[in-house]
Amino acid sequence: MDNKTEIKFKQVYKSYFLANGDEIPVLKGIDLEIKKGEFVAIMGESGGGKTTLLNIIGCLHPLSKGKYYLENENIGVVRDDFTLAYIRNKKMGFIFQQFNLFTRLTAIKNVALPALYAGVPGNEREDKARELLKSLGMADRLEYKPTELSGGQQQRVAVCRALMNDPEIILADEPTGALDSKSGLELMEIFKKFKNQGRTVVMVTHTAEAARYADRIIYLRDGQVTDHDYKLESKY
Amino acid sequence: MIWEIIKMSFESLLAKKTRSFLSMLGIIIGVSTVIAVFAIGQGAQNAVDEQFEGLSANSIIVMGIKGKQNIGSTKLKTADAEVLLEEAGHITVAVGSIQGNSTVAHSPESGSFTIVGTTPGFFDVSNLELVSGRIFTEEEINNKAKVAVLGNGAVEALFPNGGEIVGATITIAGKKAEVIGYLEELGTSMGPGKQDDSIIVPNTTAETSYLGTGGFVMLNIQVDSVDNMELATAELISILREEHGLKSGQEDDFKIMDAGSMVGAAQDAASLMSLLLTAIAAITLLVSGIGIMNVMFVTVAERTKEIGISKAIGGKRGDILSQFLLESVVLSMIGGIIGVIIGNSVIFAFRNTELITLAPSLIGIVIGFGFSVLVGVFFGFYPALKASRLDPVDALRSE
Repeated sequence: MDNKTEIKFKQVYKSYFLANGDEIPVLKGIDLEIKKGEFVAIMGESGGGKTTLLNIIGCLHPLSKGKYYLENENIGVVRDDFTLAYIRNKKMGFIFQQFNLFTRLTAIKNVALPALYAGVPGNEREDKARELLKSLGMADRLEYKPTELSGGQQQRVAVCRALMNDPEIILADEPTGALDSKSGLELMEIFKKFKNQGRTVVMVTHTAEAARYADRIIYLRDGQVTDHDYKLESKY
Repeated sequence: MIWEIIKMSFESLLAKKTRSFLSMLGIIIGVSTVIAVFAIGQGAQNAVDEQFEGLSANSIIVMGIKGKQNIGSTKLKTADAEVLLEEAGHITVAVGSIQGNSTVAHSPESGSFTIVGTTPGFFDVSNLELVSGRIFTEEEINNKAKVAVLGNGAVEALFPNGGEIVGATITIAGKKAEVIGYLEELGTSMGPGKQDDSIIVPNTTAETSYLGTGGFVMLNIQVDSVDNMELATAELISILREEHGLKSGQEDDFKIMDAGSMVGAAQDAASLMSLLLTAIAAITLLVSGIGIMNVMFVTVAERTKEIGISKAIGGKRGDILSQFLLESVVLSMIGGIIGVIIGNSVIFAFRNTELITLAPSLIGIVIGFGFSVLVGVFFGFYPALKASRLDPVDALRSE
């Protein structure tokens, strides 16, 4: 296995079980490899398993069968909460379509939260959070609550939160879905910066505008990868 | 980190003020009740202690029984004390007294007081101390002298303006008596009648002039050692039966009470009341605990999405468990603090009323507050555990 490989799936299956015991297979033998510092978009039909794939990468879901290597380590077998929480906390930064900020907390507190879980002392947390928000032009919005911010601003807060513990991997689930096109493009520029910083970015999207920023598009259909380097046909 | 979580708990509780307050209400009532229970218990204990203060474990009291079938009138008389002292082996002190109510006047004041006719030994047995004057002598007893020693309450009632008390003349049941001394305030009662309102006279005078045969006779006995109580009691019974000419098969015309059983009975009554209130407090705390659990379940349900987010950004199960658990503990703890304040305010407000004896008890505060915290932990744990075990993806999907 190549040293530079960050994420590798080998025949990964994932099924959900309904209350009556019926099995709903979602991922049906996924093989994929994402290199360190790569910006990958995952596209495909809805219901094709894009979000499930991202959640498995993000250690939010256990996989049903197969192997998931994170930096050459088969973490698909890990089930203990402590290790999984540690990986989510330190290795990954999650960005969601609906921002998923804590409405009761101010921007700076939202950003600082992952560091709280990591056990970083209070002052250090706030300094880092402030610095991050400043770098994304949010210096004058530190004490605002999410409801007092625009969608684009909320997503920037969420981006800062994802960066808080300096993760190697950024996972984004339809990050531009709730944004206007201008904010969406700004976000993609930020993602490009991540890539240039050497971070691995995995983004689920259904819009070509966003996907165009990626190095490569993995195309998913009916729980299987149909293309590891999918080309957008239209005006490229 | 723990402080940060406690701060967050406070914030989320403040965000739902009404709900937080309502769920606290049960705890507040429960803890106030616990504190009141202990105050009542402590008060009753103090009262019992005070009442029987000076009554040692080797005391026996003999009282006459009246109006009981096949006994008729008791033959118990103050002179029986002397017989007992002479004949019984283990009795060191025996003081007879005859008590009854009579009108006492010191013009223009008058009122009904307890007249105690007794011998000088009574003052020792009852731990009575003179403020001024003297007690009567054996000679005065033999002479049926019309002299009286006043209890503190009697002094206050008959001499409201002070003045010369010793040497003053009062009338008891229309007959003159000279006040030869008066006693320190006791503030307690022992046997029938309040001792502070008593007027103590020679037993002979009481029997012949003031009370006649209408008096209630009581013997105060002291035994040489606690170990000999049973022996002395048996001896006492046989001597008195013989003295009263009772045939075998006839019931005693007197009853015997010893200090141990009297204190025990009073304590039993006090602890029964405490037990009852403790049960009420326990039920209140239980119900309030269920209330808190219910509120915590609602809170967890409302914040399911937050729990999902927490997990996605690296929150461990322990973090989420402790957050919700602390929230419930903070809730119940605030309720506990308010309960302690209210409980003690109630004690403070009622401590000097005749209605009930209350004494603040530190143990009550500690237990009341401790229980409130315990309720928070116990009833908050299951909802918190459920929250911590939520599947992150399911939680994130919820709205």
